[in-house]
Amino acid sequence: MTGTKPYRVVIVGGGTAGWLLACVLAAKCPQLSITLVEAPEIPTIGVGEGTWPTMRATLASIGIAETEFMLACDAAFKQGSRFDGWVTGAADDHYLHPFTLPPAVGTASLLGAWAASAPEAAFAEVMTAQAIACASNLAPRQRGMPDYAGALNYAYHFDAGKFAALLARHACTRLGVVHVAGEVVGTTAAENGDVAAVALRDGRSLAAEIFVDCTGQAGLLIAGHCKSAWIDRSDVSFNDRALAVQVPVLPGSPVASQTIGTAHRAGWLWDIALPTRRGIGCVYSSRFLNDDEADAILRQHVAANVPGADVAALSPRRLSFATGHREHFWSGNVVAVGLSAGFIEPLEASAIVLIELSARALAEALPASAETMAIHADRFNAQFRYRWDRIVEFLKLHYVLSRRTEPYWQAQRDPATIPLRLADNLRLWQERPPSATDLPQQDELFPAASQHYILYGMGFPLPSRCQADAAALAALADLRTRARRLAAGLPDNRSYLAALAAQAA
Amino acid sequence: MANHQILNFDDHANLRVLTGAGADLGDAVMACLVVPPEFRRLAIDYPILFRQDDETGQFSALALFGFEPGENLYLSGDQWDAGTRPLAMAVQPFLVGRARDPDAPGQVHIDMDHPRIAHGSDGTRLFEPGGQPTPLVEDVAEMLGALDQGYRDSAAFYAALARHDLLEPFSMDVTLDDGSQHRLVGYHLINEDRLAALSGGALAELHGDGHLLPIFMAVASVGNLAALVRRRNRLPHG
Repeated sequence: MTGTKPYRVVIVGGGTAGWLLACVLAAKCPQLSITLVEAPEIPTIGVGEGTWPTMRATLASIGIAETEFMLACDAAFKQGSRFDGWVTGAADDHYLHPFTLPPAVGTASLLGAWAASAPEAAFAEVMTAQAIACASNLAPRQRGMPDYAGALNYAYHFDAGKFAALLARHACTRLGVVHVAGEVVGTTAAENGDVAAVALRDGRSLAAEIFVDCTGQAGLLIAGHCKSAWIDRSDVSFNDRALAVQVPVLPGSPVASQTIGTAHRAGWLWDIALPTRRGIGCVYSSRFLNDDEADAILRQHVAANVPGADVAALSPRRLSFATGHREHFWSGNVVAVGLSAGFIEPLEASAIVLIELSARALAEALPASAETMAIHADRFNAQFRYRWDRIVEFLKLHYVLSRRTEPYWQAQRDPATIPLRLADNLRLWQERPPSATDLPQQDELFPAASQHYILYGMGFPLPSRCQADAAALAALADLRTRARRLAAGLPDNRSYLAALAAQAA
Repeated sequence: MANHQILNFDDHANLRVLTGAGADLGDAVMACLVVPPEFRRLAIDYPILFRQDDETGQFSALALFGFEPGENLYLSGDQWDAGTRPLAMAVQPFLVGRARDPDAPGQVHIDMDHPRIAHGSDGTRLFEPGGQPTPLVEDVAEMLGALDQGYRDSAAFYAALARHDLLEPFSMDVTLDDGSQHRLVGYHLINEDRLAALSGGALAELHGDGHLLPIFMAVASVGNLAALVRRRNRLPHG
């Protein structure tokens, strides 16, 4: 502890990362004195518009009501991701990675029960009632349920710009975070090499015990001051470009329940449904596709998938990105959170959940004395390095199970590009399904169940020792009944969102 | 004029009904009709009393929820505070419809003027997109069947009670903590003395016909009257 003086945290940079971190820290650690400094002229990059189910607990913990959040951010429900065209590219090639877990029965017997009772049905359809909700554009909850409670596990799609603005208002007006408008132009080093203060262009300086770098790809503190090395992961994850558009939708049109990721010949397209628009983007590898080709793929996709869209009027935003992360996320008294810590394509919407996890870990660590700072840093770095490694492997899994034949897809399956641990896992998983032994942490980002949804969604062969038993067969039978009940009782997304908006009006 | 319709996919494909509990959903009633096969299930929570129709002289059974019209002491906001509800409440807004032939199987009818008919996006669908009834309708059909069968079989039950003279008039004065007086009149109960005095042969006959269990369940259920008074006394106002 630091005695009588308040423990000061300075967050450099706003955006989703800065403001979410500010809210979580302020709500969990009211004894901290938190200042967020943000340059008004630097535009923020929306780090994707899909969250994880963790966002519900995060929002509840910082004291924002669900209705307020959904209305302020044009939010819709997200119940998982659907992957179209990833296995063969055929018209009927799609599978679902839903947020709701399969029944809590042994995986091998569950797989056996699937093979014995409904081998022609898709894995996710058999394992969770969420599949029928997604197929029918249903909401995961009824309006009468308490905030953040659902009949199915869910997250959100939202307007990231509006989200950051909501968090900023909430942080400053309700949580006591101090907002300083100013551009950080330099740092003052302490004797031990830590950052003592950041200097602003207008001459002011802000001192603190700890600094959080939310400056995005610039990495003003973590790279600029701490010189934390960048670990490049583009050898595994090839995509380095994206074209993004917002496409208005017709009033009353269905709102999809999940992010849709559609494979194309050298990458994939995202499609994220909000109440009034769809965010659609084309992710690709510049080694395999030029910008004009990507633009054509994007427009063709919009024309084919968004009724009433004016394709000629679209002017996609071009984004280039480097895939990788810092060697040290926490260095000295600087912690990098958000894009300054790392970036990978938004295939499983890992960006915002990493911010949430960083904020949670930091809230547990702070206030950290000068004596323990290095211990916290070591543990934080080990934990987040572990997470990045698992994310890189999990995203790669989506590619290595493909049977597409274009050069890009063949290159994705080149053994030289597959991390050793993933290659080992794939060998193990031929003999037994993924288990907690392979993913042993309590809060794995992608636990065994996530691996199951991808593997068996993409047609990975079942291990030979998967025998159905009575418990597994009963669990699947119960689930079929539950799925029908849920499908009957849940409103569709469009009706839910319309009623929500009407209630607020 | 009630607006009862035969439930069918063509007319009701997109209809939803509200399945929760609440005064605005028609649950604010002081009693409902119950049938002997459900006495065992209901005796845990509700007092079961009997009532004689002034015109026909026929008996029926009621589960009592309150002490005055419109009072349901099991209802607390949008919660129905009991493990189970009587069939006649649980099937609403559905009812048994009957064709001309009284022996033909009943049909599922729906009361389109019932407050449980949803007029927004909330509520449970009655049909799946392909036209198959949803599990709700399957459940309702089963409950309506049980209710209908229970009602048809009850004539034999009340005939047996009459044969052994087991029903006696019952009235009860209830004085609540706030001093207010309520009087339950016009009900009947099982006469326990006469029940205790039945011969072995009479008991065997009642048992063989399946009447003995509901008789004893009705006896046991009367203990819930005291619990109902306690519920009433817990209300914040008089």
